Amino acid sequence: MLETIHLSKSFKGKKAVQDVNLYLDNGESVGLLGPNGAGKSTTISMISTLLKPTSGEIKLNGINTVNKPGEIRKILGVVPQELALYQELSAYENLKFFGSIYKMKGKELEKSIQHALEIVGLKDRQKDLVKTFSGGMKRRINIAAALLHQPQILILDEPTVGIDPQSRNHILETVRLLNETEGTTVLYTSHYMEEVEQLCDRVYIMDDSEVIAAGSKAELLSILSSEDTIKLELSKINEDFVEKLKSMEGVRKVESANSQLKIIAKKGSNLISELVHLADRYQIQLLHYQTETPSLEDVFLHLTGRTLRD
Amino acid sequence: MKSVIWAQFSKDKRNPILVLAFIIGSILATLFFAGGIQTPTKVAIFSEEVNAEEIEAKWEELLNADDSLNFVVTDPDEAREEVRDGNIDVAVQLMEMDYRLLVISELPTVSLVRQHVDKVFQQEAQISSLIRSTGDENVRGEVENYLADAPVQMEAQGLDSEEVPNYNMSIQLMFAFTFLISMFLVGFKVNNVTNDKASGVWNRMILSPISKTSMYFGYILYSFLITMFQIVVVLVVFKYVMDYELGDNLWMLVLISAFFTFSMISIAMLLTGIVKSPEQFYAIYPSLIPLIPLVSGAYMMPGTITNQVLLFIADLFPMAHAMDALMSVIFYDANFSDILMPLLFMLLIGVIAMGIGINLIERRGLNKVAK
Repeated sequence: MLETIHLSKSFKGKKAVQDVNLYLDNGESVGLLGPNGAGKSTTISMISTLLKPTSGEIKLNGINTVNKPGEIRKILGVVPQELALYQELSAYENLKFFGSIYKMKGKELEKSIQHALEIVGLKDRQKDLVKTFSGGMKRRINIAAALLHQPQILILDEPTVGIDPQSRNHILETVRLLNETEGTTVLYTSHYMEEVEQLCDRVYIMDDSEVIAAGSKAELLSILSSEDTIKLELSKINEDFVEKLKSMEGVRKVESANSQLKIIAKKGSNLISELVHLADRYQIQLLHYQTETPSLEDVFLHLTGRTLRD
Repeated sequence: MKSVIWAQFSKDKRNPILVLAFIIGSILATLFFAGGIQTPTKVAIFSEEVNAEEIEAKWEELLNADDSLNFVVTDPDEAREEVRDGNIDVAVQLMEMDYRLLVISELPTVSLVRQHVDKVFQQEAQISSLIRSTGDENVRGEVENYLADAPVQMEAQGLDSEEVPNYNMSIQLMFAFTFLISMFLVGFKVNNVTNDKASGVWNRMILSPISKTSMYFGYILYSFLITMFQIVVVLVVFKYVMDYELGDNLWMLVLISAFFTFSMISIAMLLTGIVKSPEQFYAIYPSLIPLIPLVSGAYMMPGTITNQVLLFIADLFPMAHAMDALMSVIFYDANFSDILMPLLFMLLIGVIAMGIGINLIERRGLNKVAK
């Protein structure tokens, strides 16, 4: 349905997006995962025709949209990261305005507004001014404004930034419903691994302006099929101890946070006895030991040596 | 376009304080600074002679024969302080048969006062001389009667043989303040383009079927309509409520104001194209705007600014042309063809500034896909 071919973008010679190839099939839910500054927003700005690529192509059903943006705009709904709303107007007035710029009017417009409000669960608050809404409610209206013309493809740029867990769950559920019940194709960008894991069939992982891995969740996790993730909770951590850990046979990566350690080690490496012995030598108490199934976060750590929130 | 205008109007309808404040501000500024109730100009007089009280009483009566100036006996130190502080433009130090003007700058009021005081002192000197030579005190009455109906009287006429009208500075100041405040309104409304760009609303519109021309036209037309509403309300209030002599060609005044508003929208659009954020616009625009009436001489009598460089700078802004056209219509009954040149100048400024402004706004989004 939609694909990008060797998509690149530079700003004053600095590469923001480099050689990105991705595709979206009809009805799919695809995640674009990466830390801040990875190039996700630039990529979706190019896909949504707001930014012209430096090189590469974007094709919608085989037609290049770079020169013919009108085709994709008709079927595209974009939920920007910022709150693109008139705060001084009510939710209803905002939707009326955004609907009217899509040439909708009368009963058709009214029906679309009510439908969008129902999807985001704000039908009973439609007459309230947006500026009186909580952060989560504003984000939901931000989504509703992109749904009025019933787009076939919905691009969401980090729609859960800065909101409470309850609103976040509501938004994730809304996106899931749109994809599953309305058949909307979703491209969801986030730096929250768990959101992408929860929502998306396939994931593209971006870092430092490039796609570093792509595939279904199972395919990505298979990158770590030869590895185990071990989580340790210790009474204290010292650098010598971490360095010794890194030099142990089978250990591939060690990451520390507060009094916790995350170790990625070769599958089947029986490290527990060595760990206990080492901790004892450094007079460190081992409080908790857990072997984990790898997550996308671990895949990202494996590929980049950093966490998503670094 | 209709959607954009509707959205802008809905915002103002929801919060009309800004527009109302600008309308009331225009009226109050005119009343406050232009002496809207048409009070005569106050001139402090004092004497430091031995018989100061006698001298002050004598000249106060003679000088106040004309209603346009109000000569008030004041304490000498107080008079000097008022001139020094700029509370009054001029004070007159009186002597038995002579006077001295106290000024700090050569304002239009000073020459008016000098002319009047000089005339009164010369006339009094002639009468005193006549009384001394004839020894008859009744000569004063005879001379005053004679001058009231002199055989030779001077009447000033314009080139078209019509009476030269009295130039009313209050009317000029009314337009100066109305336009000054309207320029702020224009700026705040045009800056909605930058605000909507920053908030992402602009991008939502770009993605919709609405054309970019319609988007710009919507913002420009709304800014134009709301500013014209402000100007027309102020004009109507001053003409029909405050009885200002604005002539019979109100539609011509509205037409000139429309040209002025269009060219100021263009200048605001030019600045919108230069600045990077709405905040930057709010910082720069209000600093620049008060300078326009100053360099355009809107607060001064016509002809006060003679410096060629200043006159050239004034010509670059629409205000000088607008004031020129307005005063011609109000005081000299100019018709449409008489004010065609100022209108064309404003149109030219508007077209050039708008062209460059929109071009700069679009260049900022050089990498963006054209609508």
